[in-house]
Amino acid sequence: MSGQKTLYIDYSLCIGCETCEYVCRFTNDTSRIHMTRTIDGVMVPLYCQHCENPKCANACPRGALKRDKDGALILQSMLCRGCQTKNCILACPHSAMFETDRGVMVAKCDMCAQRRQVGMGPACVEMCPCAAIRYVDRDEISALETEKSKLAHQKVLDHLKLPGKD
Amino acid sequence: MDPMNFNFLCSEPAAPNGRSVGIIGAGPSGLAATGYLSCLGYQVEVYDKLPKPGGLMLFGIPGHRIPKERIDLGARKLERKGGVIFHTHTKICCSGPLHDEEGDHFCREILGFGDMVKKHDAIMICTGSWRSRKLGIPGENLSGVFSGLEFLFPIRAVKYSAPNVKLPDVAGKTLAVIGAGHSAVDVAHSAVHLGAAKVYLIYRRTSREAPCGAFEIEQLRQMGVEWLDRTTPLQVLGGSKVEGLEISRPGQNEAEVSVLPVDLVVTAIGETATPPFAKELGLENVRKGEVRWLHMTAIENVFVAGDALSGPSKIGKAVYSGLRAARSLANWLDLKAQDRLDAYDYNDLVTNEAGFRS
Repeated sequence: MSGQKTLYIDYSLCIGCETCEYVCRFTNDTSRIHMTRTIDGVMVPLYCQHCENPKCANACPRGALKRDKDGALILQSMLCRGCQTKNCILACPHSAMFETDRGVMVAKCDMCAQRRQVGMGPACVEMCPCAAIRYVDRDEISALETEKSKLAHQKVLDHLKLPGKD
Repeated sequence: MDPMNFNFLCSEPAAPNGRSVGIIGAGPSGLAATGYLSCLGYQVEVYDKLPKPGGLMLFGIPGHRIPKERIDLGARKLERKGGVIFHTHTKICCSGPLHDEEGDHFCREILGFGDMVKKHDAIMICTGSWRSRKLGIPGENLSGVFSGLEFLFPIRAVKYSAPNVKLPDVAGKTLAVIGAGHSAVDVAHSAVHLGAAKVYLIYRRTSREAPCGAFEIEQLRQMGVEWLDRTTPLQVLGGSKVEGLEISRPGQNEAEVSVLPVDLVVTAIGETATPPFAKELGLENVRKGEVRWLHMTAIENVFVAGDALSGPSKIGKAVYSGLRAARSLANWLDLKAQDRLDAYDYNDLVTNEAGFRS
């Protein structure tokens, strides 16, 4: 599906400085991107990739996850109400649904919906010192990939152990 | 390349509000605060001892990790769009004698702190952490022993041709780098590129515990760096300059002591904060959150943020600290102008910010 925007992180460029996480926290109170690392030291910011086939939305019993006009998967908090199943958190292969103690108990990236409405891009993208995180059309991603980014991505996949991969 | 957009909170800055803020230090926290305040229409003036804004993002962390251009463009955007004025080569006197810290060689102008407080409606101190931690072993003051920052800083700074900055002379020499954080990796990496004959990377634990991660260490080994884990440096040997490093490694039963024949030793074991006037400003209290106002020092219109306040951390925390301090500063000026300082929301105090200092 072209015309859908998403976030793309080149893990080989990420230095783990946590700027994305803290800028997100300042902008949204609860951060929706979270820095971790693999055992051998590849930095892994856990982030929502606004999947084409979103497992979180499929798992949500309340239909609280809807795609907006730019392609962002939006959590409609009044439908969600931090429901007891937490199916979305379990379903997300990228560990990008966050449990929180503020407001509705689930938080996820909405690609800075409010900022987009007034013509600005996601805050993490603006402030990453390494330009490791990009706000792109889903179709553009393959052109951005490099040998290094693919290697780092593979290490991250092995680390996260996505369902359906070995 | 797009700029690192310190003005990320606005697409266009608000109309000038007639207030002036001075920010001391143009690193990540200072520039984040600058971006926030310039978006609100403040006239921001930034003072930094270095020739360019960016701090250790530019002068500490190598360019292959953080693209120099992206930081430069971010600073330029602050100037052009936010109307920010940068005073580079300028030190606000003084936490210690000049030429005490890395980067002091660049100062052409030294301004007194008192003048600053009078000139601006408020000041923010974002001076970071520039003093290197010491190992505390015999011989570490010999010529040929460097801290990570002493070693890395000139590599970036030499491009700005300050008279006292010289590239570390490592060609053909043998180096021991102590530590396994990102600075240690950067030092080892740079040393190989500068033509060192042999580089040892020495760490007291194993690659599994190394802060930089095993992957980085493996890459260094592929470049020819010799990795010595579970190794403790005991003393630096030599008369007037370094001739060797005595180390201890676990043997069969007890520790085995040996000597590495090295010409240079670089200790990359971290830095400590270097705020000016730490005592006068009561920074210890600010750190604990015992303040009237978030990020405010003992002097009413002087605020503090970033590593200068909380010690060495990551860029992200520095940015967050700068943003919060800027918000607090702006709130304070607003409420003070309206004579409503008692309307301050104390829930915003540092102490309630669980996890911030973790």
